Amino acid sequence: MNATKKSKAASAAGVLLVASLALAACGGNSNNGEGAASSAPASAGGASSPAASKPAGGDGGKAVTISYTIWDKNQQPAMEAIAKAFTDQNPNIKVKVDVIPWGDYWTKMSAAAPAGTLPDVFWMHGGQFIKYATGQFLEPITDKVQAGEIDLNNYAANLGSIYTLDGQNYGIPKDFDTIGLAYNKELFDQASVPYPDDTWTYEKLAEVAKKLSQPDKGIYGFGAKLDTQAGYWNDILANGGHILNADMTKSGYDEPATIEALKARYQLILDKASPTHQQMTDTDAVEMFKSGKLAMIFDGSWDNGNLASSDVIKGKYDWAKLPNGKVKRGNIINGLGNVMSAKGKHKEESWQFLKFLGSKEAADITAQMGAAIPAFNGTQDAWVKSKPDLNLQVFIDQTADAVPYPSGSKSYPVWFAKEGEIMSQAWGGAISVEEGAKKVAEMMNQAIADAK
Amino acid sequence: MNAKSRYAWAYVMIAPTLIGTLVFWLWPAIYSVYLGFLKSENFGMDNHWVGLANYERLFKDDEFWQNLKNTMLYVVLFVPLTIVLSTFFAVLMNAKIKGRSVYRVIYFLPQVTMAAAAAMVWVIIFAQDYGLLNSAIGTHIAWISDKRFAMYALVIVGVWGAIGFNMLLILAGLQGIPRPLYEAAELDGAVGFRKFRYITLPLLTPTLFFTSIVLVIGATQIFDSIYLIIGKTNVALPSVRSLVYAYYQNSFIYYDQNYGAAIVNILLVINLILTGFQFLMQKKWVVYD
Repeated sequence: MNATKKSKAASAAGVLLVASLALAACGGNSNNGEGAASSAPASAGGASSPAASKPAGGDGGKAVTISYTIWDKNQQPAMEAIAKAFTDQNPNIKVKVDVIPWGDYWTKMSAAAPAGTLPDVFWMHGGQFIKYATGQFLEPITDKVQAGEIDLNNYAANLGSIYTLDGQNYGIPKDFDTIGLAYNKELFDQASVPYPDDTWTYEKLAEVAKKLSQPDKGIYGFGAKLDTQAGYWNDILANGGHILNADMTKSGYDEPATIEALKARYQLILDKASPTHQQMTDTDAVEMFKSGKLAMIFDGSWDNGNLASSDVIKGKYDWAKLPNGKVKRGNIINGLGNVMSAKGKHKEESWQFLKFLGSKEAADITAQMGAAIPAFNGTQDAWVKSKPDLNLQVFIDQTADAVPYPSGSKSYPVWFAKEGEIMSQAWGGAISVEEGAKKVAEMMNQAIADAK
Repeated sequence: MNAKSRYAWAYVMIAPTLIGTLVFWLWPAIYSVYLGFLKSENFGMDNHWVGLANYERLFKDDEFWQNLKNTMLYVVLFVPLTIVLSTFFAVLMNAKIKGRSVYRVIYFLPQVTMAAAAAMVWVIIFAQDYGLLNSAIGTHIAWISDKRFAMYALVIVGVWGAIGFNMLLILAGLQGIPRPLYEAAELDGAVGFRKFRYITLPLLTPTLFFTSIVLVIGATQIFDSIYLIIGKTNVALPSVRSLVYAYYQNSFIYYDQNYGAAIVNILLVINLILTGFQFLMQKKWVVYD
């Protein structure tokens, strides 16, 4: 009897195996579907420039579907609204919006790039851009810029220059982001502590964080999370330290001012003014804030939609500027871009969509839906007004204090991935913060040297 | 049907599996060996031959030796524990007890549970603050983020997941032992444990041999429980990081496929040695009748 059981188990395993192989095989080429070909055969109208460059297509306005891949689920509705507005004007071009979460995004893209299966149009991050541009995986748009099809001066804060390399343009600015201090009004009210304002310093933040903490109830004043852009990078800048030196050839992690800033943040965990690293690994600090367990947290402007999605803190939280440091108010400004694949099958259609993504109309949709601060000049106000009950203006005001995200070097993807691993040793208490910072500096300098 | 066309037909029948194996297993394995001698840039589009440079770097890397140590420690803890417990339960399941098929199903369940879902449950069990394990035994141990305990937590999860299937294999082995042997032994006055020691165990050794080969190879490739339960920001990661986890990190997070390939090529050599060693040693303990 048992022999049959065993062979049954074995054949079941075999079936599973074959099935998973088959699935894997399917997964490989399920991209770029010709998809909606059945609908609307040829409504040539829309596309302002006909798909002349397309070799095979018999009639010019053949319906095509292009893929647009993004990493933020919270922005998906806005991106789909933009795609819909685009298809309304170009009925023969459908856009499929795909979300790959940030944690997997670059792993997937780095596999897709050499395989030639990058999405037609996708979000680009300043840190990753150089790698993809030098590999010629991105379609240059220099001639379109020169032909005046798009004007990169339309975008705020010099964002148009991020996605250029060796005189070639590759991307159109999508949005920009800065960091703010989110606070839970209810927890402040309960302790009768005034809300954070422009006068706050890091000392004040630490003092209030301690006052608001009730560790026995699982409530903490501040989420001193292990995080870079929405975390200690701001502290470092405010304290006069650096992430990288000006010409990006040397790490600033071993500067005394940097180490001091990191220590100050870590001290909040030791003082029980913040959950421990382990607690914040188990439950993300932003999730803790969303469930009303944290009084204050640093978070990016891009994440407001995420915070607003929580029923627990809805109407009970607001934003303030980051506190003043010893030297200045620190902040990181980063601009995302839209780029297109050099190997796309529908480049002309992709370009039309890319151009539309860079238009004022797309920026207005982004702003009104509160997805992100659009890069297009003059559309930021609409974003601020998209949530009238929140002080979103702090994000715009802080651009004046902000330093660009330290991307733009070939070594960035390597050192950025390793940074978190080393710092988590320090945040978890296995090594001292100073030791961790020095290790990061050494690792970064090595990565910079290797990338030359 | 002549012999030739019979063979042809046979190959057609095994083609789906064979092609899958060649394309998804054999080819990547061969390509990994090749990658280990290269320095790839630009997502693997530009490759330069660098000879043994990746291996030189590997042998000078303290982290690699630590990862190797972690992997071997896991093998040493996991394999014997799994074999002993699987045998123990197989013997119990082989006895004539009421509802034994229910027990068999229960012990086999981990095998059909989705690893990711099980990992989430284990994370809750091991949690320091409201974890089931700590409340059950009245401790406050950070099972998965204290480097003194994290490895044991992984071994527990590993053994839990492996018992079911191995128990089944061993059970099949037990059922293959002829009844008359026991009857003869009983006539000679053998009881209880002595029957197990002198009849069951020797005749089970071919099955145990097979089980241990497969378990060792599987254990050296531990990755998913580290990825799912420990996680990349865990302070205990360096104390449990396996070679395959290091491979994943280097190849897919740090974009260094060549260094990653060097790691798994070393692992391949280690596995060849371990398996070869076991085959050599089988003369000493495996009984074939």
